[in-house]
Amino acid sequence: MPSAIKPGKYFVQGDEAIAEGAIAAGCRFFAGYPITPSSETSETMARRLPEVGGVCLQMEDELASIHAVGAASVGGLKAMTISSGPGISLKLEGLGWGIKNEIPYVVVDIQRAGPSNGVATRVGQGDFYTIRYGSAGGNNCLIALSPKSTQEAFDLTIECFNLSEIFRCPVFLLSDETVGHTRELLVIPQDSQLNVMKRIKPTVPPDKFVMYPLDTPGVINYPFPNIGEGYGICVSPYTHTPKGYASTAQDIQEKMARRLVLKITENLEKLVRVERQKMEDADFAVIAYGGNARPAVAAVDMAREKGMKVGFFRPIIVWPFPDGEVLQVAENVKTILVCELNIDGQLSREVSRAAKGKAEVYHLGSGGVEPHLPSQILSEIRRLYK
Amino acid sequence: MSTVGETLKVLHPLVAKYLRNERMPHMACPGCGIGQVVHATLLAIDELGLTPKNTVWVQGVGCSSRITYSTWMGDNVDAHHGRIFAVATGLKMARPDMNFILFTGDGDCGAIGGNHFIHACRRNLDVTAILFNNGIYGMTGGQVAPTSPLGAVTTTTPYGNIEDPFDMCQLAVAAGASYVARWRSTDFKAMVNSIKKGIQTKGLAFIEVLLQCPTNFGRYVLKTSQAQDVLKWIKEHSVSKKEAEKLSKEELAGKYLLGEFVYRPERSGIVERYQDFLKKHQKE
Repeated sequence: MPSAIKPGKYFVQGDEAIAEGAIAAGCRFFAGYPITPSSETSETMARRLPEVGGVCLQMEDELASIHAVGAASVGGLKAMTISSGPGISLKLEGLGWGIKNEIPYVVVDIQRAGPSNGVATRVGQGDFYTIRYGSAGGNNCLIALSPKSTQEAFDLTIECFNLSEIFRCPVFLLSDETVGHTRELLVIPQDSQLNVMKRIKPTVPPDKFVMYPLDTPGVINYPFPNIGEGYGICVSPYTHTPKGYASTAQDIQEKMARRLVLKITENLEKLVRVERQKMEDADFAVIAYGGNARPAVAAVDMAREKGMKVGFFRPIIVWPFPDGEVLQVAENVKTILVCELNIDGQLSREVSRAAKGKAEVYHLGSGGVEPHLPSQILSEIRRLYK
Repeated sequence: MSTVGETLKVLHPLVAKYLRNERMPHMACPGCGIGQVVHATLLAIDELGLTPKNTVWVQGVGCSSRITYSTWMGDNVDAHHGRIFAVATGLKMARPDMNFILFTGDGDCGAIGGNHFIHACRRNLDVTAILFNNGIYGMTGGQVAPTSPLGAVTTTTPYGNIEDPFDMCQLAVAAGASYVARWRSTDFKAMVNSIKKGIQTKGLAFIEVLLQCPTNFGRYVLKTSQAQDVLKWIKEHSVSKKEAEKLSKEELAGKYLLGEFVYRPERSGIVERYQDFLKKHQKE
């Protein structure tokens, strides 16, 4: 039987790499709504999923696509949806249903310049807080990974699928137009070299199985039975008991809220993923994520050539925010420069919070359309370097 | 304090056979028509031999859904408000071998979820959708619905409703559903047969039931608390398709037509088309 994975070297866009990563991760259901700059993923899925026996649907809107994706996962198929900017705003309505019912699936956000429709074809990084706090009602702790390259778009998509199964929750891949549309080398390894999680199934009979483990909030790698497997599962947007029965009791609401947050916060060590370059002797750190990490790395190299002790730090996991690792950076440098493609300061706000005043934190923002230029970042480093 | 169910310790045999006994008594108001529709659905399920293993109940939000949710002995999937058809699409495409029975309301299906409903009909998704039309928002306390009659006084139309009600059956026919019918909660036999026919129809079966809501429709629109008054109003405002042929346009104004509006089992739907499509394009 031919493998769904096509090992080899490819010259493709980040958006296409996401689709191949999803298929390699076992994704067999995709529903989306066309939106620039994410449509290449939908188009690749439309071409590739039928080849591997999967379902690919273009739905009537963003809401339908995220709800169909959550439902398909309840039906037993690994599933993914994708969007950008205004589409993500709509997707967040459905995200709550996935969070509440602990449904594993992946949502991809190819960020573009905003707010509102903004500049559809050009980069921005304004959804950092949107995805984290956009689903109403709180009591949630999101997982989001962010790639800087085509290769990482592939690798991290697989990790997103794995984390969604381990933590039983929707997981975001927070990419951007720079990565989405950059065409570069992608190496797809052999099947056997990929770490792909299967859905964890109950080992106890239905009458012994607890669908929502509210009394053991921190438990992960917890089974998710699908419909039709005899477990009589109950999925509902209302706060529900361990069996899934709607409840208005305060203790159930309390336990459910704690479960949704603690399963992630009590297992942070399994989530930390950061990149450090030239940080060993640095007294100045540049922090950036996603596609904007690329000019930041170039600027750090240029600063080093000029004799400045500058290092680079990147959160690969952006949510939960790697507080401990950022604090460690702050304790070792005098100054941190955060470069991101929004004017309001999103990543820089998190860095400031995590740094706890141990270093001076500066924000180099841009409204987007173009990523930062290495020379822009370099001149800011020179201005701030002491 | 004992509940009615505990006091009686007696369950209807269909309830005992198919519903989670621990979820009884249900939370419907006295006089509500939802029980009649659930009864008809259970009888249809029983007569066709569907089981909790091969059948899923899917709900949205509102009385239709909150009252029936997590009562079915098998799997229960309750969607966000309006998203029932989107959720059903994901479920059915993932498990085309299973039966999906959808309980939706006039707000869920006709307002907030209208677009999903239209596209589920267009795709002719192979599910059986039962619309509980009580002409008002019941769960939230008597606000105007897209199905409320012209002139209806509700909590959000204190001076009377100035909008025309939505004919959801006509919408379903135009959008492409394989089977479309409308009954009253009192047309028990017709409901049972229609639900059976709907389950057996490939493609989307849409069955609308006009049902009495004494608590809100009665209270605000008809100024009554009695279910029989609401049933009487429904009777006076509905007419079979056959009888309608004899009536003038004026006589038909404000009346619901009852009966089957379309039956086209030959029209293929997304589920079988996708399976055929995979036969052509699947490489492994």
